[in-house]
Amino acid sequence: MNKNLIIYLLILIFGVAAPFIFPAFKVQLSILCVLIILAITWNIQGGEMGYNTFGNILFYGLGMYLCASVQVGMFFPLAEWTESGGEKTFVHTPAQFFQGFAAGLAVAAIVPTIVAGLIGYSILGLRGHYFAICTLGLGVAAGEISGGIEIIGAGQGFTTPPFPNIGSLEARGEFFYFCSFVTLVITFIAVKSIYTTRFKLVLNAIRDNEDKAEAMGIQTMKYKIIGWMISAFFCGLAGGIMGGLVGYIDSTDVAFDGREMGVFMVLMAILGGKGTLWGPVIGATIFHIFKEGFWTFFLGWQYVALGVLIVVIVIYFPEGIMGWLREKYPERFGEVVDEADRKAQVELK
Amino acid sequence: MKLKNFIITFVSAIALLLSTATISFAKVVGDKIILGAAVSLTGKYSSNGVHTQNGYNMAVERINSMGGVKVGGKTYKFDIIYYDDESNPKRAAQLAERLISQDGVEFMLGPYSSGLTKAMAPVTEKYGVPMVEANGASRSLFTKGYKYLFAVLAPANLYLDVAIRTAVELNGGKGVKIAQAFEQDAFSQDVRLGILDAAKDTGSEIVIDDKLPKELNDMAATLAKVKAVKPDVLVVSGHTKGALTAIRQIAEMKVDVPMLAMTHCDAAKLSKQHGKNAQYALCASQWHKTLTYKDKWFKDGMTYDADFTKMFGYAPPYQAAESSAALLVFKDAFERANSFDQKKVRDALAATDMQTFYGNIKFAPGGQNVSKPMVLFQVICDSSGKCENKVVAPLKWASAKLVHPVPKWSER
Repeated sequence: MNKNLIIYLLILIFGVAAPFIFPAFKVQLSILCVLIILAITWNIQGGEMGYNTFGNILFYGLGMYLCASVQVGMFFPLAEWTESGGEKTFVHTPAQFFQGFAAGLAVAAIVPTIVAGLIGYSILGLRGHYFAICTLGLGVAAGEISGGIEIIGAGQGFTTPPFPNIGSLEARGEFFYFCSFVTLVITFIAVKSIYTTRFKLVLNAIRDNEDKAEAMGIQTMKYKIIGWMISAFFCGLAGGIMGGLVGYIDSTDVAFDGREMGVFMVLMAILGGKGTLWGPVIGATIFHIFKEGFWTFFLGWQYVALGVLIVVIVIYFPEGIMGWLREKYPERFGEVVDEADRKAQVELK
Repeated sequence: MKLKNFIITFVSAIALLLSTATISFAKVVGDKIILGAAVSLTGKYSSNGVHTQNGYNMAVERINSMGGVKVGGKTYKFDIIYYDDESNPKRAAQLAERLISQDGVEFMLGPYSSGLTKAMAPVTEKYGVPMVEANGASRSLFTKGYKYLFAVLAPANLYLDVAIRTAVELNGGKGVKIAQAFEQDAFSQDVRLGILDAAKDTGSEIVIDDKLPKELNDMAATLAKVKAVKPDVLVVSGHTKGALTAIRQIAEMKVDVPMLAMTHCDAAKLSKQHGKNAQYALCASQWHKTLTYKDKWFKDGMTYDADFTKMFGYAPPYQAAESSAALLVFKDAFERANSFDQKKVRDALAATDMQTFYGNIKFAPGGQNVSKPMVLFQVICDSSGKCENKVVAPLKWASAKLVHPVPKWSER
């Protein structure tokens, strides 16, 4: 147990030191944190609960728009800020910027959670492919609808408030890195502690046989909705941070980016091994490193390279990296293998 | 205990990977001035992204072969680091950051499209990196007070302004009925604002005002309305795909309108792809090869057209021409600043006043080019079915007379 603590501390120290050790990679590191959050939260549905959702991008996009809107709307008329021509220029003071961002993040976490509850109530009754298709539609619809709402910039996009001039040029990168890193740590701790409770067992029961779980007297619907709300909470936060980091929100390409982010979160969780705590973290990290590498070395062919990677994963690591490791070194995962017993069983067959 | 070794290996592997990634500081290396550019090589803007890249490359080659850039008594050559932004603003912002903080680029060229430029401008501005861009026309780029952003093109709201004014003039000065359909993106929405302004000015009435989705593949619903309402002018804007879709469906549905005004006809190679179906379409353009501007690198529009066609195998749309012009502006500014100091280069850029084959270039305080008007051309076909883009306005450069009203489909 103590050794585990040391490992966590080491990772934490590495995370805190990372932007100073690799100052040029702050943006990539921040995006990595966001990707890990998305993968971990997707895993709650896709991995533990067995509900393959493409709809988590809805909460991410909602969070992004809400955070930016609150940050602007608290101090200036939002409609004038986003007014298509952008004729008016308002400048946030540093205090306004940070207060607005904090309030924005709070709203970006709470509203998607409520939305997840409402939508979950109506669609979590669907199962399997039907649920996947339905959630896929949610993201697409949200993108098209938000592209028509004038007050958040519609097709013109929404420029988030520029970072105030405080200190050095590095301040912006460091601020957003620590925002995303802290959120990641909170997400990880929250999810880890949830996974130690009965809640996770219920989710697993739903995944393995929902009807049986219900027959056992578990109110599956309640647990499914709560699970989705937890995901939505952190997805919204991740979206809010990402919006500030990118600086420009576009309805279908940045916020409700189901084609990229929406698919990536699934890929990352599967790559790392769904249904595990560390799988999505490892999957997201490896995915991000590969993706950045492909972008640099296979210009114009990056998606082909990424496609090959996915094919290789599906064929050789269908259970993901963690799943593969578990099969290979079961004793490392606390599974006791009794050689004599195993042999006896093989001989019996 | 269980996962210890694995996690330690994992963390150290990441550390190793990150630390071995090279960080080069590369603004000017040896005799090379390295510019950074993120262009759309994949995604929905890929065709225009390639036009942009070709335009940049052609100018780099031409300037380098004609003696390069002379700064401080030494000759330098241009070189460009490219990345693919995948037509995605999020990616573009990320790449701007990467070009500057990882690749050490100190001067940037713009991406394709207003949306992507909007995403990159805050980053270049933050680092004080001068960016000359050739493909972001949205007016909102120039009202934010950016100091390091310079655009060689006229702002988007002016694109089809002339078309509306011409229609009103031909209507005896009375307002006209306008039907419009625009893609949901920063550029097209700005073109729309320009039309709204022009309509207000001329007392015209907007009878249809549709928003179309990105990746525009179908606008039949709008066209059905147009058939019913019978407006005097139909305005469509949605990059290359929008232009192709509009022409295809207008021909299929035989929609009759006296004037059809659009953008991106030449990038979409309308006259080639749709031949006679595209006839009489009126197009806004930043540049046309028959304009009489001159410079010493590309001589004039006709020569540029011929050289570009020889090099890349297709006629240059204006997106390529304006991209080439961006390099000429940079060269001129470097030589006048006689330094690679970003502030000095920025000031030299702001003081630019030059003529290129593409047009006159002089920047307003907001960064937009104010000394170059838009031109309108019309797709005109001869009896053998060969179609060409002919400039019809402004009158100074007109090589053909505007055909108005457009003949009905039943009479063609």
